[in-house]
Amino acid sequence: MRKYLYIFKTEIMSNLQYIFNILVGFIGFFIVLFIFLNLWNYMYDDPSQLINGYTKNQMIWYVIITEILWMTLEGRTYCKKICNDVRSGNIAYNINKPYNYILYSLSNHLGSVSIKFIVYIILGMIMGYIFMGSFPNLNILSILAILITGILATVISILLITFIGLCSFIIEDANPFYWLYSKFILILGTVFPIEYFPKTIQPILTFSPVYVVSYGPAKLFVDFNINNFISIIIAQIIYIIIGYFICSLMYKKGVRKLNVNGG
Amino acid sequence: MKVIEVKKLSKKFRVKLKEKGLKGSLKSIIKPKYKEIKAVKDVSFEVEKGEMVAFIGPNGAGKSTTIKMMTGILYPDNGSIKVLDIDPKKDRKKLAYQIGTVFGQKEQLWTHLTPYDNFKFFGAIYDIPDIKVEKKIDELKTLFELDEFINTPVRNLSLGQRIRCEIVASLIHEPKILFLDEPTIGLDPVVKENIRTLIKRMNKEYKTTIFLTSHDVGDIEKLCKRVIIINNGQVVLDDTMENLKYHYLNKKIIDAKMKEMVNLDDEDGITILKDKGYNIKIEVDTNKKSVSDALKLLNPDNIIDINISNVPLEDIISDIYIKDDKQ
Repeated sequence: MRKYLYIFKTEIMSNLQYIFNILVGFIGFFIVLFIFLNLWNYMYDDPSQLINGYTKNQMIWYVIITEILWMTLEGRTYCKKICNDVRSGNIAYNINKPYNYILYSLSNHLGSVSIKFIVYIILGMIMGYIFMGSFPNLNILSILAILITGILATVISILLITFIGLCSFIIEDANPFYWLYSKFILILGTVFPIEYFPKTIQPILTFSPVYVVSYGPAKLFVDFNINNFISIIIAQIIYIIIGYFICSLMYKKGVRKLNVNGG
Repeated sequence: MKVIEVKKLSKKFRVKLKEKGLKGSLKSIIKPKYKEIKAVKDVSFEVEKGEMVAFIGPNGAGKSTTIKMMTGILYPDNGSIKVLDIDPKKDRKKLAYQIGTVFGQKEQLWTHLTPYDNFKFFGAIYDIPDIKVEKKIDELKTLFELDEFINTPVRNLSLGQRIRCEIVASLIHEPKILFLDEPTIGLDPVVKENIRTLIKRMNKEYKTTIFLTSHDVGDIEKLCKRVIIINNGQVVLDDTMENLKYHYLNKKIIDAKMKEMVNLDDEDGITILKDKGYNIKIEVDTNKKSVSDALKLLNPDNIIDINISNVPLEDIISDIYIKDDKQ
């Protein structure tokens, strides 16, 4: 485990070089939130009105949390990197090192997103407070619980994207699959909560990755409930086990048929 | 003691074929065609502990594929490999702790970090206690003369400095065998020489077995006592450097500046390489004609200046490649 913590730490050290880029990237985040703020202002007649069980403030906080989780992930870059590593054979240079490739990629990418994650949480909270003038009613323990679900959500997202990237062992380019995945998460969990969709689809969405990677932590932030927390945590743990298992399986199958061009 | 045993190793790749044009592209989607390429065919050799072996061959000869199978990156189709009594196919992770790899064309260092942080990272990867890593860094820092730039981010280092750091990073876990894949590629002659000296020093100090691939004859000549030549996936020569020179250096090059013009024709044992009247360059096959006989043909009294040299090793190796291709 020590080596993975070290990989995580090393990636953080490496990424500290980009702190300015992270701050500049926040402009994009600000614009997205500003659009949604105006959208919900238009949709809601007054702040106390409920649409599908959410007040205007809750909806804006929901989007702030899901956007923090989504934008700090840098999924596209990460998926592209894994696809390129597989296709170019660069992945081979990781094979002869004494670590587990899946855990290496996970700790590496967690390290690369963690600074952005912290910066976006701080700036996102400040922005939300400026726009709405208050925070949801949370105590230290519930904040801690939400943070845990947020971190686990990122871990699951990384594992799922790793799996998509590793599909390049089978198909030429797995990037289109990432495109589909990203649109699925964006529309069905980031922009709108599950309650906004027809009752028949809601159970499906509850079992889908949307529930564990975006809806869960954001829902807890706007309406904390210990029972919800437990079910989200359980679902996240199951997803992590499954995600790790399918990634390992794909990797083991893939490296056996790896073709690396010589020098 | 043998540290590497390779027996009847074979590997083939399946390469997708595509006919030209748009029609070909569509056809390759519907009915893809594949071609089988035998990259390595029945390769066998052994390496003793502490040896420095050059494993060379032209591009596409199968040397990198062989190295990748030896380090557990690729799975062989047939044959067996034992590296330090470990089968790379079955126990890749265990082997990783025992070997080091440096690929000249692929950097393994984190460019935004300093060499020192990189070495600490590699220490952690190989589960080495911190105190031991510090001691090792100190030791290698002196051996590889890194003092000046050990705290400079890797991205700001020159290529020569970076390669030195790459080698040190691969030595942190004290590997018993070091695989060097073109370690001096792209370096200027002075830096190349420096790297060679350091590799030699390391081999002497730690008795590390070195398995080197390079297109640079200087690397091979100055570092290795044994050379294995691979071409078209097969070993075409496995001999000591001394024997290679002894058997193949039966040719001498005579470069002479003459007082008067000479008219010399090709004859058995003599090949005219250059004839510009007063300047003449000939190759003498000493199995057929002695150097003194060749000089007599030139008439020693007519010679102003003369240089007699061996055929460059580079030419000998190219000759072996070409001969093998023709067979």
